[in-house]
Amino acid sequence: MAVVVVGERDVGFGARVALEQGRALGLRSIRGTLRQPQVWLPGLLFPIFIAAVNTSAMGRAVEFLPGFDGVDSLLDFLLVASITQSVLFGGLAAGSDTATDIQTGFFDRLLASPVSRTSILVGRLMGASVTGALQAMVFIVLYGAFGARVAAGVPGGLLLIAYAMVLALVIGGFAAMLALRTGSAEAVQNMFPLTFIVLFVSSAFFPTESMEGAYRSIASYNPVTWMVDGMRYQVIVGLDWSRAAGSLLVAAGLAALAIFGANMALRARLRRAT
Amino acid sequence: MTAPAIPAPSAFSWVPLALALGHRSLLGILRIPAAMVPLVAMPIFFLVAFSGSFSSLLALPSFPTDNVVSWFAPFAIIQGSAFAGFGIGFATVRDIETGFYDRLLLSPGSRVALLVGPALATVVRAMVTATAVLTVALVMGARIPGGALGLLVLFLAAMGTAVISAGWALGLVFRMPNQRSGPILQLVIFVCTFLSTGTVPLADQIGWTEPFARLNPLSDVLALARQGFVGEVTWAVTWPGLVALGGALVVLWVWAATGIRKLTP
Amino acid sequence: MSHPIEVEGLVRRFGDIVAVAGVDLVVKQGEIFGFLGPNGAGKTTVVRMLTTLLRPSAGVARVAGHDVVSAAGAVRRSIGVALQDAAIDPLMTGRELVRLQAVLHGISRTEADRRGDVLLERVGLSLASQRRVGTYSGGMRRRLDLALALVHEPSVLFLDEPTTGLDPTSRRALWDEVRRLNHEGTTVFLTTQYLEEADVLAGRIAIIDDGRIVREGDPKVLKEAVGDYRLQVTVAPHQLPVARQALAAFGEPRPSHETAVAIGLRAGPATVSAALRALEDAGVPVEQVELDAPSLDDVFAEATGRRLEGASIPDEGGPE
Repeated sequence: MAVVVVGERDVGFGARVALEQGRALGLRSIRGTLRQPQVWLPGLLFPIFIAAVNTSAMGRAVEFLPGFDGVDSLLDFLLVASITQSVLFGGLAAGSDTATDIQTGFFDRLLASPVSRTSILVGRLMGASVTGALQAMVFIVLYGAFGARVAAGVPGGLLLIAYAMVLALVIGGFAAMLALRTGSAEAVQNMFPLTFIVLFVSSAFFPTESMEGAYRSIASYNPVTWMVDGMRYQVIVGLDWSRAAGSLLVAAGLAALAIFGANMALRARLRRAT
Repeated sequence: MTAPAIPAPSAFSWVPLALALGHRSLLGILRIPAAMVPLVAMPIFFLVAFSGSFSSLLALPSFPTDNVVSWFAPFAIIQGSAFAGFGIGFATVRDIETGFYDRLLLSPGSRVALLVGPALATVVRAMVTATAVLTVALVMGARIPGGALGLLVLFLAAMGTAVISAGWALGLVFRMPNQRSGPILQLVIFVCTFLSTGTVPLADQIGWTEPFARLNPLSDVLALARQGFVGEVTWAVTWPGLVALGGALVVLWVWAATGIRKLTP
Repeated sequence: MSHPIEVEGLVRRFGDIVAVAGVDLVVKQGEIFGFLGPNGAGKTTVVRMLTTLLRPSAGVARVAGHDVVSAAGAVRRSIGVALQDAAIDPLMTGRELVRLQAVLHGISRTEADRRGDVLLERVGLSLASQRRVGTYSGGMRRRLDLALALVHEPSVLFLDEPTTGLDPTSRRALWDEVRRLNHEGTTVFLTTQYLEEADVLAGRIAIIDDGRIVREGDPKVLKEAVGDYRLQVTVAPHQLPVARQALAAFGEPRPSHETAVAIGLRAGPATVSAALRALEDAGVPVEQVELDAPSLDDVFAEATGRRLEGASIPDEGGPE
């Protein structure tokens, strides 16, 4: 991980200790998520519901409409959309957990302990990333049971999981930044409609080729479109390393930006605390 | 202090109280207008997003119009009315949790006012949303070939949906007076609005959603609301919509009325 | 003529838990009745049953002559209730709340405004009446809550822990108002966890513990019943044996600190001067005298074998 926060109290520990602490905090984060089904369950059920409804109600679109070349079922088409939607939702939950930690004073307790400042952020993000991988696996297996196939096979599936992990860093980083800046879980949750809009104004649910006018231009400049299209190619057509790399690079770039922002926010909060 | 000089309530003594409670619910909007934003913004967002994302759907054989905004605007408005029940559900839970609701339960009058007041407020909220969505739809190029009659049935359907949604929300929070009722409240309304003919006509639904959409009374309400946007208003489309509204109204208001008794076990 | 509150064999169960296990009570016309007990003893459950907010599992309760189950509407018309935590809508102004409360009781708008003015003036909130309740201090909220409870001129007033969390000034102001109401003829049923509050206000009290009434009566009589006044005198250490001997005639010895002698005054506080004179006669100069009356906490301890935690009013209240 590229995050380095060297605060004034962040001395006396080697990278190994920081990583170990990050692992412990990451495990806490995953455990906390798993123990609150009301937090992650909607993030799984909501995309499944949308995919199930759309596949049935709009299923004829793949026969009649442009942009669905080679698509057998709308479920195949929506696999990447569901993963993206679920990860965005889950990442926000992780962010609001950080805010809750600040509100309940747990964050102060962490700061009062000699824990490495880096591992606070790393722990959260590792947790979000592992959760993202789990979400991707659930969707691949579940949609697989209903007939969806990843054309690129096992490497394609692994690419989807990698994509989910990096995407979790993007949303987790932005959410953590907001949480650290505001200290309010509500502020983080208010981001939910925004992620929904970003997702809708992209090619996630319907191909850009089938859209018109300004909406189409916005969708084609949306980074979600770039990420989703590259990944969907692996599902619909087959393995294509350059498209996959394109998707992952976009995601990694956004992740770097988000983590940088979160890092700055953490420093700002530490300065206020000391 | 002397004995109370207040007579026992007459049959319609609940009316001023219902109005007062409706007024109180609306105070929330007037004092914190931001609280209204999600209620208005969500249907507008759905209108814009669906019209943009799914514009090509209109090429499917059974769509009765070629104007995507005309197709989705009534759906967004009915959806907005259905969501209006959230507000009253959450406000009631908050009142119960803070103890404010005890004050209302201590009122010697009929319980009717405690149901009708919030329902009135829900209708007003839904009308604000409907008007806002309609304005955006017209700006985006929606057409209303059904004219004034088309608008009338649209608003009738929207009001009816709002009252039904309030009945559902109140009945649920009376039985489950805590924050946990929130997700159930939302989920049911959400599922009901989506398992309907909201996005795609019945004839073009190819899978498991078709029987749900066929049986969902909201599909008839949607047809009622939508008819003026895709053609002329006809009695053949109007009466099933009115029957669906009436049926749901009776069922969910019995649900609400029996629920309030459970608050004082 | 029936009493304002009559309760016989009142029971409330929540599943297997018996919250109230057979309570009998009578509150007489024009009295302030203090209802005491630790948290979780069943105080609020009893109040909720008496105010029709909770149906009893068994037993009978009549308030203002009406049965709380079969004539709940009539009970609600006769009672005023100031609820625990003063649950009021922070978005409404004081005046709007008074008006809503009046409508809740079927009072016309013009009459509501007239009574509202009088009541807000009375509780000292006239100036703040146009402000949203969210901006009120804790004391102002309680006073508004009291005004709301009075808007329909109830004959019986229920006050559920009216001063919890208030600072001393606000608490005393509320006590004065309750006394004034009582002088005007309102019967007051006051629950509190503060023994001092019951001591200061109530003419009669009942102590509830574990769902049962363990003591009931005039607080003074109850206190006298649990024991004598304790007299403690501090003297020079070498005088201690003489002092003990001089005081032995007035009561049994009690534990005291090292340089003092303490006794339980057998014949009550009236014998303090005689006891001090006995010390003087024995040639013992007294450095300090303390006289402790038995407290309601002693009554509670005697009835239950426990002390009432958090029963003393905290020195620092909430901000006013």
